[in-house]
Amino acid sequence: MWSYGFVQRALVGGALIAVTCSLLSFFVVVRRLAFVGMGISHAAFGGVALGLAAGVDPVLSAGGSCALVALGIGWLSRKGRVHEDTVIGILFVSAMALGVVLVRVANAYNLDLMSYLFGSILALSWSDVALIAAIGFLALLYEMLFFKELLFLSFDRETAIASGLPVLAVDYGFLVMLSLVIVVSIKLVGIILVSALLVIPAAAGMQLSRNYRGVMAVSALAGLASVLLGLYVSFHYDLASGAAIVLVLFALFLLSFLASPRRVYVRRRQAGG
Amino acid sequence: MRECRVKDFFAAGNGSPRLVIDVEDLWVRRDSHYVLEGITFSLREGTFLGVIGPNGAGKTTLVKAMLGLIKPSRGRITVLGMSPGELKHELHHIGYMPQQVLFDPYFPVSVYDVVMMGRTCCIGTFRLPRRGDREVVQESIAAVGLQGMEGKPIGELSGGQQKRAFLARAICLETSILLLDEPTAGLDMDSQENFMDLLMRLKEEKGLTVVFVSHDVNILARFADEMVCINRTMHLHGRPREVLGSERLKEAYRCEFDFLAGKGTGGGEA
Repeated sequence: MWSYGFVQRALVGGALIAVTCSLLSFFVVVRRLAFVGMGISHAAFGGVALGLAAGVDPVLSAGGSCALVALGIGWLSRKGRVHEDTVIGILFVSAMALGVVLVRVANAYNLDLMSYLFGSILALSWSDVALIAAIGFLALLYEMLFFKELLFLSFDRETAIASGLPVLAVDYGFLVMLSLVIVVSIKLVGIILVSALLVIPAAAGMQLSRNYRGVMAVSALAGLASVLLGLYVSFHYDLASGAAIVLVLFALFLLSFLASPRRVYVRRRQAGG
Repeated sequence: MRECRVKDFFAAGNGSPRLVIDVEDLWVRRDSHYVLEGITFSLREGTFLGVIGPNGAGKTTLVKAMLGLIKPSRGRITVLGMSPGELKHELHHIGYMPQQVLFDPYFPVSVYDVVMMGRTCCIGTFRLPRRGDREVVQESIAAVGLQGMEGKPIGELSGGQQKRAFLARAICLETSILLLDEPTAGLDMDSQENFMDLLMRLKEEKGLTVVFVSHDVNILARFADEMVCINRTMHLHGRPREVLGSERLKEAYRCEFDFLAGKGTGGGEA
């Protein structure tokens, strides 16, 4: 299997996506942005449909729609009297609805669209891999540079604001990075399933460690293992790569949940009354 | 350069205590109504000020206005000789403890990590903590009596220990002023006593000015140098004995009570 060019591209691209998404997933989980990740990724559907209808590279149009929705979520929940989850509920279904209309108009219900929805092991070219590497580097550089600010804002937003942190730059920057990473991941993992890579790795990490360093290490390992194992399964059983990756990830989460010292601690406390 | 403004401010006093907080005819509007109307008082360096008032009186708004987080509609507020706009770059001289730190008990950070968060604005953007930062954090943890617990997850600490950790975070800057918004709320009597002893020791050692918002007048009667009572408007400002003995206090709380006998007769939270 390793001698095939498309497998090599999927493995390299998948490993890069796994590490980037997993390391970002820590802040997605602790800032309770799981629904934001889902909203942004689903908004990509509108962008992909627009690209297919207009004959533009779907990744480019999806990038635009994701960034717009991400910034829209940030701006509307800040300015309007609407909660963040409500804004996401409004924006992502609207973007998806637009996608459905555009797909119908362009008569683009085809295999290409399905691979964007559920991911395909065949989808990546070397230029896609290069783009994934570039965006991954940018997102992780951003996370590294603003790590202490992101951590403070995630833990205690009020005091962080009171101590004069650049809240807007950190908040909007994170949303933009999230949308860029989602866009470059959809070819391999798919629009519907990419948000899993932004949630489950850190959720598994949180089961096994009580410090963010440990959480991030477990998270990166779980993400990497799930992508490599998922691609192997996808290749051998001819399954959509995104679905295979997410199922492996879910199995890893279950294992971490069962092995969690936190569960043992809670059980002991309950037993002790 | 950043240090100079505050150093110059204190140096200009030639050894005499400076007015570190000066509030003059402060009005703050929220939506269609005013939450603070014409508040005026000033505070000298090293003073412990107790702020009391019923729920919704605007106590937290006053603290946030001091931090520059809320813009006054009218009037003037000066902290360390600076307007809120200028203060934005000097916030590392102000330690703040909010009313409640609502955090997930499973948030994966240790006591050390939480206290280090307080140093974020001192460290600066794009920079990592240096040796000096790590030393200050260790000193602050030791100062609040949490040494040996640095590596413990914050969620595993008791309520009193968490408050100590947040106090350590507030003093690990180049703190001159401590703004504490109901820091002893939710603590049992013993933990309150320990917290106040610790606070008074730190105040003396570091020469801090303390603004302490609380519903607990007994604590303030014992520890505060001065008290203000607000209920949207300024009702009283003076020494604790003057404030607590004043008839105008009942007017502010809109109920009857007797502090000295310890018998509440009007259901007020004071």
